[in-house]
Amino acid sequence: MELPQADPASTLSMTPVRELSRLAALLRYEILDTPEESAFDDFTELAARLCETPIALISLVDDRRQWFKSRVGLEVSETPREISFCTYTILGEEIFEVPDALQDPRFCHNPLVVGDPHIRFYAGTPLTSPDGYNLGTLCVIDREPRRLSAEQRDTLERLGRQVIRLFEQHLLAHRYAEQAALQQAMLDSASSAVLVTRPDGVVTSVNPTAERMLGHSEQELVGHQLTSALFRREALQRRATLLSNELQTPIEPDFAVLTAPLHRGRREMSEWRLRHRSGADVPVLVGVTAIHDEQEELRGYLVNAYDLAYQEQLQLRLQQIAAQVPGMLFQFHWRPDGASCFPYVSEGVEQIYGLSPGQLAGSFAPIIARVYALDRSALLGSIREAAAELAPWHIEHRVEHPRKGLIWVEARATPLQQVDGSVLWHGFVTDITVRKAEQLELERQQEMNRRLLEALSEAVIACDADGCLTLFNEKAKQWHGTDVAPVPPDEWPTRYQLYHPDGVTLLRPEEIPLLRALHGEHVCDHEMVLLGQGEPRHVLSNADPLYTSDGQPMGAVAVLHDITERKRIERLQREFISTVSHELRTPLTSITGALGLICSNVMGEVPEAMHELLDIAQQNSQRLNALIDDLLDMDKLHAGKMRFALLRQPLQPQLELALRSNRNYAEQHGVVLQLGTCPAVTVEIDAMRLQQVLSNLLSNAAKFSPAGEQVELSATLSDGRVRISVRDRGPGISADFRERVFQKFAQADSSDSRQQGGTGLGLAISKELIERMGGQIGFESEPGHGACFWFELPSEGLAKESP
Amino acid sequence: MKQLKRILHVEDVPSIQVVTRIALEKIGGFEVLSCPSGQAALEQVQAFAPDLILLDVMLPQMDGIELVRQLGQLIDLQQIPVVFLTGHLQPERLHELRQLGVRQVLSKPFDPLQLAAQLQQVWEAEHG
Repeated sequence: MELPQADPASTLSMTPVRELSRLAALLRYEILDTPEESAFDDFTELAARLCETPIALISLVDDRRQWFKSRVGLEVSETPREISFCTYTILGEEIFEVPDALQDPRFCHNPLVVGDPHIRFYAGTPLTSPDGYNLGTLCVIDREPRRLSAEQRDTLERLGRQVIRLFEQHLLAHRYAEQAALQQAMLDSASSAVLVTRPDGVVTSVNPTAERMLGHSEQELVGHQLTSALFRREALQRRATLLSNELQTPIEPDFAVLTAPLHRGRREMSEWRLRHRSGADVPVLVGVTAIHDEQEELRGYLVNAYDLAYQEQLQLRLQQIAAQVPGMLFQFHWRPDGASCFPYVSEGVEQIYGLSPGQLAGSFAPIIARVYALDRSALLGSIREAAAELAPWHIEHRVEHPRKGLIWVEARATPLQQVDGSVLWHGFVTDITVRKAEQLELERQQEMNRRLLEALSEAVIACDADGCLTLFNEKAKQWHGTDVAPVPPDEWPTRYQLYHPDGVTLLRPEEIPLLRALHGEHVCDHEMVLLGQGEPRHVLSNADPLYTSDGQPMGAVAVLHDITERKRIERLQREFISTVSHELRTPLTSITGALGLICSNVMGEVPEAMHELLDIAQQNSQRLNALIDDLLDMDKLHAGKMRFALLRQPLQPQLELALRSNRNYAEQHGVVLQLGTCPAVTVEIDAMRLQQVLSNLLSNAAKFSPAGEQVELSATLSDGRVRISVRDRGPGISADFRERVFQKFAQADSSDSRQQGGTGLGLAISKELIERMGGQIGFESEPGHGACFWFELPSEGLAKESP
Repeated sequence: MKQLKRILHVEDVPSIQVVTRIALEKIGGFEVLSCPSGQAALEQVQAFAPDLILLDVMLPQMDGIELVRQLGQLIDLQQIPVVFLTGHLQPERLHELRQLGVRQVLSKPFDPLQLAAQLQQVWEAEHG
């Protein structure tokens, strides 16, 4: 027989919104698909017995099925929602009863009715949550048609309410378990030591951090008085005394010390040193919280201890580092309202401000009081400015140090903006008095050097190791008409108009004294001409390389000395000598000529009495002539007007001629002139000038030789040159005269000119003459062993000349 | 052989002029006409008819070389040797002087005791 299906619409005549809320309420209890529990089974058993049915169920209805938390007389654990009787029950507020399912059109075709378990009777009471949702049913089922008595209906309803209470308890237990697990996890993972006590202070539990921190296991602590187990008696005593005063009531030195402030409404943290199991102290910060139950009854205390050992270590490390720092380290807190403090100041503050860190706990006014009065406003201004711009702060100022007197300090800090708008600075201050003094001294010296340089009448020019000009002093700028510019050395001659002494030939860069010095040379009295400004300026340049203290090249310096005026005076002097010499020449010629004529008796016999005076007059007029001759020669040599008629000729006849010409003079000194060896060579010379030189050397030798000695003239050949020597046996050349032998007007003794005659120009002229003829002149002498004057000339063998 | 007898001497400095004239007259036994300038020499040369002319290069108004040129137009310098006394003469001008008939250049300052003999040598070289 075909049975019509039950109308599903009629089974779900609940609003979808309410149904969703109902389902949510059901899920909240977290009971679906949980294992069987005897507590629930007791209710189904009771329901079945009291209603005298073979089947009783606690059925929970979700969106697609009914699930049985407990069942009696039924094997299946769930059935689809569409065919369930309970779906009808949860729509109403009261017991839903079907006396005979086969007679009821809603169920007569239900598979549970027509098939297993062959339901004929159903009665269910809704299980309604405290917030009004029907979660399911407590129902009884029979395979025979029947009705519940009024008493049975009442019993079923009461049992249904008990089931809901059981659900509630189930849910609470679940919540408690969860919370307990969470609390345990929190305790276990807390980084602080947590100890729980009873109101009297006896420990009931401790967390692993406490075990680790204090070295005690939980068992060792539980059941013991917290303060006597871990706190030191003296510390408790101190704290008790303090609190007694503060709270105006006696506090015992025991657990009360920790809880008393709490009871006055003060939640505070206090520092303690707890006893580690090993006997060592553990520095901690302790906070105490009272634990109250729902009835506001005190159940105990939660004691938190934060380990300060790490902070102490950090503090110690900071102190040690700070002790190594020359000066003070600080952390400075500046609030926008102007309030400020030092969260940290190192001991070095004594060195800087003569204060102790303790004196700065409250404010930084003590520091300001120590700052030199004239520097205060600048200091405060710089702090405000740096705080406003959050820029690194740096200032130097003076401090009136009680011990050191007025000192200079340098402060640096970096400001950090805090969330509350205040600024936190980290920085340091150092004593720079010595450096400052050195700096001021250095500045003073530099200033002096600068003034010195400017005051010099010499031009001073310097360049660095790369050849970059770094300094022109005032004179250098003036002479060059410009200041230093980044000009490469190659351009210096044109840029700064550097010329040879002739004033027309540009210097080549490698000839510039400064550059030569840069390459390590010591340049002394190099003459050159500057054409920068108007008239040519003749200068003598001295230049030296500069080295750093460890010997590294660092550049060069040149000093230019203006000799323009000296040159002008020298020229005037020469012109004067030249003029005077020429002017003297004619009258002297007359005097000498006249005396010569008189002395030779041309004008008649000279009376005997006049001879001596006439001889003196004649000799001195000749000496004057010789001087004039020398002066004029020197003048010609200087002016480049001396003409040389160079002619190649044999040397020997020249030596013989010289010997003959000077023999008379030598004999006057009682000295014999001798000719030594002479190689057969020719020399290219101006004979007259060669004779002049030889005459000079021979007459000198004769003059300085003791009477009766010999002077030897000889020549030797070496390396294509012939050396002509004049050797005497006189006193030789003294050491202090050697340098000046060939200088003009040089005479070993100023009295020589009177004693020995001579102009003091002979050797200077000889040197010039020999050099003009391509030779060199020199001498060898040991004082007391005579002198040997020599000159060398390029020579050629005679044989070549006369084949 | 003709004797050296008459010497025309041109010298502007009086003291030199005197010393030279005395040296030539007393030592050489010559007849000397001393002229203080070129102009004076030009005026008197023909009347005096010297055998030899001795002159300085540096003369006022007209220097010795110019004087020789102008003398050459008045007398035959091939026959009358000219001797210069000078301290200032460039060697390259020597050649120029020779062209003009200058026989010898004696350097100043000269030795008055030697001068007569030196002129005699020049004379003999000419007429020897």
